[in-house]
Amino acid sequence: MSSSHDASPDPHRPNVALYVKVFAALMVLTLITVAISKLHLPRHQAIGLGLFVALIKAALVGALFMHLWGENKLVHNMLFLTVAGAAILVLPMIDFMMVARKVTSPADVAAQHPNEGGEGKHVEIRKSAKKGN
Amino acid sequence: MSQPYSCAAIPDDSDTHSGVSNAKLGVWLFLASEIMLFATLFTSYIVLRMASPSWPWGWDVLNVPLATLNTVILITSSVTIVMAYVKAYDKNKAGFQMWMAATLLLSLGFLVVKGFEYGHEFALGIGPHTSVFYAIYFTMTGLHGLHILGGIAVNGGLLYMSGVEAHWENPLFLGRVEGAGLYWHFVDIVWIFLFPALYLL
Repeated sequence: MSSSHDASPDPHRPNVALYVKVFAALMVLTLITVAISKLHLPRHQAIGLGLFVALIKAALVGALFMHLWGENKLVHNMLFLTVAGAAILVLPMIDFMMVARKVTSPADVAAQHPNEGGEGKHVEIRKSAKKGN
Repeated sequence: MSQPYSCAAIPDDSDTHSGVSNAKLGVWLFLASEIMLFATLFTSYIVLRMASPSWPWGWDVLNVPLATLNTVILITSSVTIVMAYVKAYDKNKAGFQMWMAATLLLSLGFLVVKGFEYGHEFALGIGPHTSVFYAIYFTMTGLHGLHILGGIAVNGGLLYMSGVEAHWENPLFLGRVEGAGLYWHFVDIVWIFLFPALYLL
Protein backbone atom coordinates (compact mmCIF):
# COMPACT_ATOMS: atom_id res chain seq x y z
CA MET A 1 0.00 0.00 0.00
CA SER A 2 1.33 3.42 -0.89
CA SER A 3 1.91 5.99 1.77
CA SER A 4 1.65 9.77 1.69
CA HIS A 5 5.29 9.83 2.78
CA ASP A 6 6.46 8.17 -0.43
CA ALA A 7 8.90 10.08 -2.61
CA SER A 8 6.53 9.63 -5.57
CA PRO A 9 4.08 12.51 -6.23
CA ASP A 10 0.81 12.34 -4.30
CA PRO A 11 -1.91 11.38 -6.81
CA HIS A 12 -4.62 12.94 -4.62
CA ARG A 13 -2.96 16.34 -4.37
CA PRO A 14 -5.12 19.04 -5.99
CA ASN A 15 -3.76 20.31 -9.32
CA VAL A 16 -3.28 24.08 -9.01
CA ALA A 17 -2.26 24.61 -12.66
CA LEU A 18 -5.51 22.96 -13.75
CA TYR A 19 -7.55 25.25 -11.47
CA VAL A 20 -5.98 28.33 -13.06
CA LYS A 21 -6.83 27.03 -16.56
CA VAL A 22 -10.43 26.33 -15.50
CA PHE A 23 -10.68 29.83 -14.02
CA ALA A 24 -9.53 31.35 -17.33
CA ALA A 25 -11.99 29.18 -19.27
CA LEU A 26 -14.86 30.22 -16.97
CA MET A 27 -14.05 33.90 -17.48
CA VAL A 28 -13.97 33.50 -21.27
CA LEU A 29 -17.25 31.55 -21.21
CA THR A 30 -18.85 34.28 -19.07
CA LEU A 31 -17.89 36.86 -21.71
CA ILE A 32 -19.30 34.57 -24.42
CA THR A 33 -22.59 34.27 -22.49
CA VAL A 34 -22.90 38.06 -22.28
CA ALA A 35 -21.94 38.43 -25.96
CA ILE A 36 -24.59 35.90 -27.04
CA SER A 37 -27.28 38.00 -25.37
CA LYS A 38 -26.14 41.07 -27.34
CA LEU A 39 -26.16 39.34 -30.73
CA HIS A 40 -29.92 39.82 -31.11
CA LEU A 41 -30.42 36.24 -32.20
CA PRO A 42 -33.96 34.84 -32.30
CA ARG A 43 -34.92 34.32 -28.67
CA HIS A 44 -35.10 30.51 -28.72
CA GLN A 45 -31.65 30.35 -30.34
CA ALA A 46 -30.19 32.75 -27.78
CA ILE A 47 -31.71 30.72 -24.92
CA GLY A 48 -30.39 27.44 -26.35
CA LEU A 49 -26.88 28.83 -26.87
CA GLY A 50 -26.82 30.60 -23.51
CA LEU A 51 -27.90 27.49 -21.62
CA PHE A 52 -25.39 25.38 -23.55
CA VAL A 53 -22.55 27.68 -22.44
CA ALA A 54 -23.92 27.64 -18.87
CA LEU A 55 -23.92 23.83 -18.97
CA ILE A 56 -20.26 23.81 -20.05
CA LYS A 57 -19.39 26.20 -17.21
CA ALA A 58 -21.30 24.10 -14.66
CA ALA A 59 -19.62 20.93 -15.96
CA LEU A 60 -16.18 22.52 -15.56
CA VAL A 61 -16.91 23.59 -11.98
CA GLY A 62 -18.49 20.23 -11.10
CA ALA A 63 -15.91 18.01 -12.76
CA LEU A 64 -12.73 19.86 -11.82
CA PHE A 65 -13.38 22.16 -8.85
CA MET A 66 -15.71 19.70 -7.10
CA HIS A 67 -13.53 16.78 -8.21
CA LEU A 68 -16.46 14.85 -9.66
CA TRP A 69 -14.04 13.73 -12.38
CA GLY A 70 -12.60 10.63 -10.77
CA GLU A 71 -14.95 10.81 -7.78
CA ASN A 72 -16.25 7.65 -6.14
CA LYS A 73 -18.92 5.70 -7.99
CA LEU A 74 -21.32 6.03 -5.05
CA VAL A 75 -21.35 9.83 -5.42
CA HIS A 76 -21.86 9.53 -9.19
CA ASN A 77 -24.79 7.14 -8.72
CA MET A 78 -26.35 9.36 -6.08
CA LEU A 79 -26.11 12.41 -8.33
CA PHE A 80 -27.52 10.45 -11.25
CA LEU A 81 -30.52 9.48 -9.11
CA THR A 82 -30.96 13.11 -8.04
CA VAL A 83 -30.84 14.44 -11.59
CA ALA A 84 -33.20 11.67 -12.75
CA GLY A 85 -35.59 12.57 -9.92
CA ALA A 86 -35.44 16.25 -10.85
CA ALA A 87 -36.06 15.37 -14.52
CA ILE A 88 -39.11 13.30 -13.55
CA LEU A 89 -40.46 16.37 -11.74
CA VAL A 90 -39.50 18.96 -14.33
CA LEU A 91 -39.91 17.43 -17.80
CA PRO A 92 -43.59 16.42 -17.65
CA MET A 93 -44.44 19.92 -16.39
CA ILE A 94 -42.58 21.57 -19.25
CA ASP A 95 -44.10 19.13 -21.75
CA PHE A 96 -47.58 19.91 -20.39
CA MET A 97 -46.95 23.64 -20.68
CA MET A 98 -45.72 23.33 -24.26
CA VAL A 99 -48.70 21.22 -25.32
CA ALA A 100 -51.20 23.42 -23.47
CA ARG A 101 -49.73 26.57 -24.96
CA LYS A 102 -49.82 25.16 -28.47
CA VAL A 103 -53.33 23.77 -28.24
CA THR A 104 -54.82 26.95 -26.77
CA SER A 105 -53.05 29.53 -28.93
CA PRO A 106 -55.63 31.27 -31.23
CA ALA A 107 -53.54 30.70 -34.35
CA ASP A 108 -53.24 27.00 -33.66
CA VAL A 109 -56.94 26.59 -32.87
CA ALA A 110 -57.81 28.33 -36.15
CA ALA A 111 -55.38 26.11 -38.05
CA GLN A 112 -56.85 22.95 -36.55
CA HIS A 113 -60.47 24.01 -37.20
CA PRO A 114 -60.44 25.92 -40.51
CA ASN A 115 -64.21 25.60 -41.06
CA GLU A 116 -65.19 27.08 -37.72
CA GLY A 117 -65.46 30.77 -37.05
CA GLY A 118 -63.93 30.79 -33.61
CA GLU A 119 -65.62 31.04 -30.22
CA GLY A 120 -68.73 32.90 -31.56
CA LYS A 121 -69.46 30.09 -33.96
CA HIS A 122 -69.17 27.54 -31.15
CA VAL A 123 -71.68 29.52 -29.06
CA GLU A 124 -74.11 29.71 -31.97
CA ILE A 125 -73.88 25.97 -32.54
CA ARG A 126 -74.55 25.33 -28.84
CA LYS A 127 -77.55 27.74 -28.82
CA SER A 128 -79.11 26.19 -31.93
CA ALA A 129 -78.58 22.72 -30.48
CA LYS A 130 -80.45 23.77 -27.31
CA LYS A 131 -83.34 25.21 -29.33
CA GLY A 132 -83.59 21.97 -31.30
CA ASN A 133 -83.99 20.09 -28.06
CA MET B 1 -22.96 -3.56 13.97
CA SER B 2 -23.00 0.21 14.05
CA GLN B 3 -20.98 2.30 11.65
CA PRO B 4 -18.55 4.41 13.69
CA TYR B 5 -18.01 8.02 12.70
CA SER B 6 -14.94 8.13 10.52
CA CYS B 7 -12.97 10.84 8.80
CA ALA B 8 -11.30 8.32 6.53
CA ALA B 9 -12.72 6.91 3.34
CA ILE B 10 -14.39 3.60 3.98
CA PRO B 11 -12.27 1.03 2.14
CA ASP B 12 -13.75 -0.67 -0.89
CA ASP B 13 -13.31 -4.11 0.65
CA SER B 14 -15.43 -3.25 3.70
CA ASP B 15 -19.07 -4.22 4.07
CA THR B 16 -20.32 -0.83 2.89
CA HIS B 17 -18.21 -0.65 -0.29
CA SER B 18 -18.76 3.09 -0.31
CA GLY B 19 -15.17 4.31 -0.54
CA VAL B 20 -16.34 7.76 0.62
CA SER B 21 -15.87 9.42 3.99
CA ASN B 22 -19.02 9.91 6.03
CA ALA B 23 -18.60 13.69 5.98
CA LYS B 24 -18.24 13.87 2.21
CA LEU B 25 -21.19 11.54 1.68
CA GLY B 26 -23.26 13.72 4.00
CA VAL B 27 -22.34 16.88 2.10
CA TRP B 28 -23.20 15.27 -1.23
CA LEU B 29 -26.57 14.11 0.14
CA PHE B 30 -27.24 17.66 1.31
CA LEU B 31 -26.27 19.00 -2.12
CA ALA B 32 -28.60 16.45 -3.73
CA SER B 33 -31.49 17.94 -1.72
CA GLU B 34 -30.35 21.41 -2.78
CA ILE B 35 -30.38 20.35 -6.43
CA MET B 36 -34.01 19.29 -6.00
CA LEU B 37 -34.87 22.60 -4.33
CA PHE B 38 -33.41 24.71 -7.12
CA ALA B 39 -34.79 22.33 -9.79
CA THR B 40 -38.31 23.07 -8.55
CA LEU B 41 -37.60 26.80 -8.62
CA PHE B 42 -36.22 26.63 -12.15
CA THR B 43 -39.31 24.65 -13.15
CA SER B 44 -41.49 27.40 -11.70
CA TYR B 45 -39.46 29.93 -13.67
CA ILE B 46 -39.91 27.98 -16.94
CA VAL B 47 -43.63 27.45 -16.39
CA LEU B 48 -44.26 31.10 -15.46
CA ARG B 49 -42.21 32.30 -18.41
CA MET B 50 -43.95 30.02 -20.90
CA ALA B 51 -47.40 30.88 -19.57
CA SER B 52 -46.73 34.60 -19.66
CA PRO B 53 -47.85 36.50 -22.77
CA SER B 54 -44.70 38.61 -22.63
CA TRP B 55 -41.39 38.39 -20.79
CA PRO B 56 -38.96 41.28 -20.33
CA TRP B 57 -35.40 41.18 -21.58
CA GLY B 58 -32.94 41.36 -18.68
CA TRP B 59 -30.94 44.16 -20.31
CA ASP B 60 -34.06 46.37 -20.25
CA VAL B 61 -35.17 45.83 -16.67
CA LEU B 62 -32.14 44.67 -14.65
CA ASN B 63 -28.58 45.87 -14.14
CA VAL B 64 -26.60 43.44 -16.31
CA PRO B 65 -23.14 45.04 -15.80
CA LEU B 66 -23.51 44.64 -12.02
CA ALA B 67 -24.68 41.03 -12.44
CA THR B 68 -21.70 40.34 -14.73
CA LEU B 69 -19.41 41.79 -12.06
CA ASN B 70 -21.05 39.46 -9.52
CA THR B 71 -20.49 36.50 -11.84
CA VAL B 72 -16.79 37.35 -12.05
CA ILE B 73 -16.67 37.75 -8.24
CA LEU B 74 -18.32 34.38 -7.63
CA ILE B 75 -16.17 32.49 -10.13
CA THR B 76 -13.06 34.07 -8.61
CA SER B 77 -14.25 33.00 -5.15
CA SER B 78 -14.58 29.43 -6.42
CA VAL B 79 -10.88 29.54 -7.30
CA THR B 80 -9.88 31.12 -3.99
CA ILE B 81 -11.75 28.49 -1.96
CA VAL B 82 -10.21 25.66 -3.96
CA MET B 83 -6.80 27.27 -3.30
CA ALA B 84 -7.69 27.37 0.40
CA TYR B 85 -8.35 23.63 0.17
CA VAL B 86 -4.96 23.10 -1.50
CA LYS B 87 -3.26 24.97 1.34
CA ALA B 88 -5.22 23.01 3.96
CA TYR B 89 -4.15 19.81 2.19
CA ASP B 90 -0.53 20.97 2.44
CA LYS B 91 -1.13 21.96 6.09
CA ASN B 92 -0.06 25.50 5.20
CA LYS B 93 -1.91 27.53 7.80
CA ALA B 94 -0.95 31.02 6.58
CA GLY B 95 -1.77 30.11 2.99
CA PHE B 96 -5.13 28.66 4.00
CA GLN B 97 -6.04 31.74 6.01
CA MET B 98 -5.06 34.07 3.17
CA TRP B 99 -7.15 32.25 0.52
CA MET B 100 -10.11 31.70 2.86
CA ALA B 101 -10.07 35.39 3.84
CA ALA B 102 -10.03 36.25 0.11
CA THR B 103 -13.04 33.98 -0.39
CA LEU B 104 -14.88 35.71 2.44
CA LEU B 105 -14.08 39.17 1.06
CA LEU B 106 -15.33 38.15 -2.38
CA SER B 107 -18.51 36.67 -0.85
CA LEU B 108 -19.17 39.90 1.01
CA GLY B 109 -18.43 41.79 -2.20
CA PHE B 110 -21.08 39.73 -3.98
CA LEU B 111 -23.64 40.61 -1.32
CA VAL B 112 -22.71 44.30 -1.39
CA VAL B 113 -23.16 44.42 -5.18
CA LYS B 114 -26.42 42.50 -4.90
CA GLY B 115 -27.60 44.81 -2.11
CA PHE B 116 -26.79 47.81 -4.28
CA GLU B 117 -28.81 46.26 -7.12
CA TYR B 118 -31.77 45.48 -4.84
CA GLY B 119 -31.56 48.95 -3.27
CA HIS B 120 -31.81 50.61 -6.67
CA GLU B 121 -34.80 48.46 -7.59
CA PHE B 122 -36.58 49.15 -4.29
CA ALA B 123 -35.90 52.88 -4.71
CA LEU B 124 -37.74 52.73 -8.03
CA GLY B 125 -40.67 51.06 -6.28
CA ILE B 126 -39.89 47.70 -7.89
CA GLY B 127 -40.49 44.61 -5.75
CA PRO B 128 -41.76 41.04 -5.97
CA HIS B 129 -45.30 42.44 -6.29
CA THR B 130 -44.45 44.37 -9.48
CA SER B 131 -44.79 41.51 -11.96
CA VAL B 132 -44.43 37.76 -12.37
CA PHE B 133 -40.92 38.34 -13.71
CA TYR B 134 -39.85 40.31 -10.64
CA ALA B 135 -41.56 37.82 -8.32
CA ILE B 136 -39.47 34.92 -9.64
CA TYR B 137 -36.38 37.16 -9.93
CA PHE B 138 -36.52 38.20 -6.27
CA THR B 139 -37.39 34.69 -5.11
CA MET B 140 -34.52 33.01 -6.92
CA THR B 141 -31.84 35.63 -6.34
CA GLY B 142 -33.02 36.06 -2.73
CA LEU B 143 -32.73 32.35 -1.99
CA HIS B 144 -29.35 32.29 -3.69
CA GLY B 145 -28.29 35.24 -1.54
CA LEU B 146 -29.33 33.32 1.58
CA HIS B 147 -27.11 30.46 0.44
CA ILE B 148 -24.25 32.95 0.08
CA LEU B 149 -24.89 34.06 3.67
CA GLY B 150 -24.80 30.42 4.81
CA GLY B 151 -21.50 29.93 2.97
CA ILE B 152 -20.05 33.03 4.62
CA ALA B 153 -21.00 31.64 8.05
CA VAL B 154 -19.37 28.26 7.34
CA ASN B 155 -16.26 29.71 5.71
CA GLY B 156 -15.91 32.28 8.49
CA GLY B 157 -16.19 29.49 11.03
CA LEU B 158 -13.44 27.53 9.29
CA LEU B 159 -11.23 30.63 9.16
CA TYR B 160 -11.75 31.08 12.90
CA MET B 161 -11.05 27.39 13.57
CA SER B 162 -7.85 27.54 11.54
CA GLY B 163 -6.42 29.87 14.19
CA VAL B 164 -6.58 27.06 16.75
CA GLU B 165 -3.59 24.76 16.38
CA ALA B 166 -5.50 21.71 17.65
CA HIS B 167 -7.74 21.76 14.57
CA TRP B 168 -4.72 21.30 12.30
CA GLU B 169 -3.88 18.13 14.22
CA ASN B 170 -7.41 16.84 13.68
CA PRO B 171 -7.77 14.92 10.40
CA LEU B 172 -11.47 15.94 10.28
CA PHE B 173 -10.45 19.54 9.52
CA LEU B 174 -9.46 18.85 5.90
CA GLY B 175 -12.81 17.09 5.34
CA ARG B 176 -14.63 20.14 6.69
CA VAL B 177 -12.74 22.43 4.34
CA GLU B 178 -13.54 20.10 1.43
CA GLY B 179 -17.23 20.02 2.40
CA ALA B 180 -17.37 23.82 2.61
CA GLY B 181 -15.69 24.01 -0.80
CA LEU B 182 -18.22 21.62 -2.35
CA TYR B 183 -21.07 23.74 -1.00
CA TRP B 184 -19.50 26.94 -2.27
CA HIS B 185 -18.97 25.51 -5.76
CA PHE B 186 -22.61 24.43 -5.78
CA VAL B 187 -23.69 28.00 -4.97
CA ASP B 188 -21.48 29.11 -7.87
CA ILE B 189 -23.14 26.61 -10.24
CA VAL B 190 -26.60 27.87 -9.26
CA TRP B 191 -25.52 31.43 -10.14
CA ILE B 192 -24.04 30.19 -13.45
CA PHE B 193 -27.61 29.24 -14.46
CA LEU B 194 -29.40 32.14 -12.74
CA PHE B 195 -27.30 34.77 -14.49
CA PRO B 196 -28.26 33.94 -18.10
CA ALA B 197 -31.79 32.83 -17.20
CA LEU B 198 -32.75 36.08 -15.45
CA TYR B 199 -30.42 38.72 -16.83
CA LEU B 200 -29.45 37.78 -20.36
CA LEU B 201 -31.95 35.59 -22.18
